[in-house]
Amino acid sequence: MKVTIENEGNILVARLAGRLDTAAAAEITPDFQALAEQADKHIVLDCTDLAYISSSGLRLFLTLRKESAAKGGKLQVRNINADIRQIFMMTGFISLFEII
Amino acid sequence: MKKKEKRKIPGVGKGLWILIVAAVVLEGTACVQYFTARTSIRKEAEKLAKTELLRAELEIEKHTIEMETAAKALAMMAEKYVDCPDSIFSATRSVVAILNENTSIAVAYVPGYFEGKRTKGKGERIGRFFEPCSSRFSEDSIYTRQIGSAEHDYTLMEWYQNGFIHDSCWWCEPYLDDSGSKTFVVSCSCPVHDRKGQVVAVVCVDLSLDYLQSMSEYLRVYPESFYSITSSTGEQIVPIGDTLPGRKYQSFDEEIDATGWHIEIIIPDDVIYADLRQVGLMIFIMMIIGLAVLVFITTRAARNLIELMNLSHDQERMDSELTIARNIQMAMLPTRFPPFPDYPNLSAFGVVIPAREVGGDLFDFHIRDNRLFFCIGDVSGKGVPASLVMAMTRSLFRSFSAYLDNPAQIVSQINDSLSGEGNKQDMFVTLFLGILDLSSGELHFCNAGHNAPIHVPSSPVPCTILDCLANLPLGVLAGFEYQEQSAQLEVGDALFLYTDGLTEAENGTHQLFGEQRMMSIVESQKSKEKSPQELIEAMQQAVAAFVNGAEQSDDLTMFAIRLINLSTLNSQLSTLKNNHFSLVMRNDIQQIPTLAEWIDSIEMPEELNMPINLALEEAVSNVMLYAYPGTNGQVLVECEKSQEPTTNSQQLIFTITDSGIPFDPTQQKEADITLSVEERQIGGLGIHLVRQIMDDIRYERKDNKNILTLVKSLNC
Repeated sequence: MKVTIENEGNILVARLAGRLDTAAAAEITPDFQALAEQADKHIVLDCTDLAYISSSGLRLFLTLRKESAAKGGKLQVRNINADIRQIFMMTGFISLFEII
Repeated sequence: MKKKEKRKIPGVGKGLWILIVAAVVLEGTACVQYFTARTSIRKEAEKLAKTELLRAELEIEKHTIEMETAAKALAMMAEKYVDCPDSIFSATRSVVAILNENTSIAVAYVPGYFEGKRTKGKGERIGRFFEPCSSRFSEDSIYTRQIGSAEHDYTLMEWYQNGFIHDSCWWCEPYLDDSGSKTFVVSCSCPVHDRKGQVVAVVCVDLSLDYLQSMSEYLRVYPESFYSITSSTGEQIVPIGDTLPGRKYQSFDEEIDATGWHIEIIIPDDVIYADLRQVGLMIFIMMIIGLAVLVFITTRAARNLIELMNLSHDQERMDSELTIARNIQMAMLPTRFPPFPDYPNLSAFGVVIPAREVGGDLFDFHIRDNRLFFCIGDVSGKGVPASLVMAMTRSLFRSFSAYLDNPAQIVSQINDSLSGEGNKQDMFVTLFLGILDLSSGELHFCNAGHNAPIHVPSSPVPCTILDCLANLPLGVLAGFEYQEQSAQLEVGDALFLYTDGLTEAENGTHQLFGEQRMMSIVESQKSKEKSPQELIEAMQQAVAAFVNGAEQSDDLTMFAIRLINLSTLNSQLSTLKNNHFSLVMRNDIQQIPTLAEWIDSIEMPEELNMPINLALEEAVSNVMLYAYPGTNGQVLVECEKSQEPTTNSQQLIFTITDSGIPFDPTQQKEADITLSVEERQIGGLGIHLVRQIMDDIRYERKDNKNILTLVKSLNC
């Protein structure tokens, strides 16, 4: 599991690559904390290379989503695959996130 | 007869030298101390003598000055009454009266000075010699008379002559006073001048030598010391006492300024140094004691050295005995591979890589009634006790497996033998014992606290740790009921057994080789083309590369078997077994990825793979996080394909079993997914997903175990 955070103009893009399972979620928690500190900005979670996500990963997404809403920032989720879309459907995340 | 070995002890010669050097040093110190003390004692004696001499000088001078003053006073009076001989008598009398001494005082006139004159008192004619004299012989009697006569010719006297030579007071040499005291006296003379300055008379004041002899009160500084007083010309005023020949003396002297006399104090050496002799004796005794102590210490040290040498000799012998023990121990282990040429369907290989110190690893096997009886074990501790217990365990395995057919029974018997009265050392043995039916591949086994072996299937299914009950190690509790378990080996399947020397092999930075590395090596060698020997050699190389030269602290034992050709294997059994999968994991989140691999190996519709993976991950991670708070434990995941009885549809039944605290995930609160961002709870997603994905979810608590059953229908 790998997270790369980059600035694209005014947008903060976090590229997630690999399988975000329970073990990986613990591993990348610091990256999400770093993102939460800048939650007042426009953040895009790029999921092009994200193969899989479990509830631990979803929790990270949701926490960041709450932080963004509280700070008046913007959070978008980009390029989710069919499996993740299915998980988003099952968890209602599909309506919580702006998916582009 | 055996000759007793005589060994040279290098320390003893050295000890003697140390003794000699120490004696010389002690002797030297004692000498220096002795002479220092001697010098200081002599100085002390000199100081004492000088002090007494000074006191004596003062005392003598007190008298001589008094005498001189009296002489001068009388001379002045005589000069005043130079024409009046009568008044001289009263003058001498009055001066004697003043002096507080028994002394005589006289004025001797030049012969013929008053010749022809008459004295007033008695009216006698004064003769040629005229010497008025007053003497005190006792406290209150002063005797005054004229003593000058032809018989008593004072002009011959030294003191009289001195009066003409010296212009002031002068002390003469001692002489016998024939006129007055009849004792030896010294006299102070002083000239009397007439008005023209001519010496007309000499005043004489006597000082009795008896008085000087009584000065010993001051001058006898030591009991046996004595003193002498000599005049300026060397005449003895107080004579030197008798000195003994061969006795050495120290003398200290002082000159009395007023009279020019010498006072000498003479002290025998042996008297001065009487204390020194005592001190010397003390030093000598101390030195002897010191030397004795040194001799004692040296001999003790030498004896210790000898003991130490004997000890190291014993140590050498012990070391060689340990090597022999090690060799005997190694010889007990199977070394001939392939071991059973008559059983071509079985391939086996084992190795013990011994640590430097004698350890207690063992493995053994034999075939009876077409069944392979095998075991691997590890005795706690090291050294000879461990190797003895190891040998005992191996013998017990051999004896009991020769007639017993049940692994739990064999293990129980070994346990009872080991935990009896004999086990005073409280040593225990972890042991895995298996009985493999070579015709059916059926494995019956019993584990006594040993590491679970690894099942290496020939199918594409990943290697798994054999599901083993831990039970108790052997030798802990007599009468413990060991549980038997069973498993099925198929054609081409292998079983890899090891001791913790493998997983706990340490590298230079104290990292352990670990289960994951071991599993990956086993996985890489799982092909049925690979022999057990190849598997073990690959493992050996991996461990060697990992530890990279770090010293091996524990024995490392590996044993592997592979079934090559099972002639009578039931094909029905094979397909049945293909429908059952299991995975054992530790309660470590880091093991989650192995779950995904395991699910990949289970045949199921492609689209179900991810959701089932997700549901199982949620359920398993729940167990990992909550079932074993603060302790280690295992999670067993099993999968079975079966027919649903009523609808006859295919279904996958997963069971997740753990022996942790009671924990029912079905009671967990589920997330409400209809809420807004602000209202949504962070938790509860996991169980929600499991419910969403699975068709049925059941929890039961049974035999102190949590069993969660998840059912997924395949035909929906």
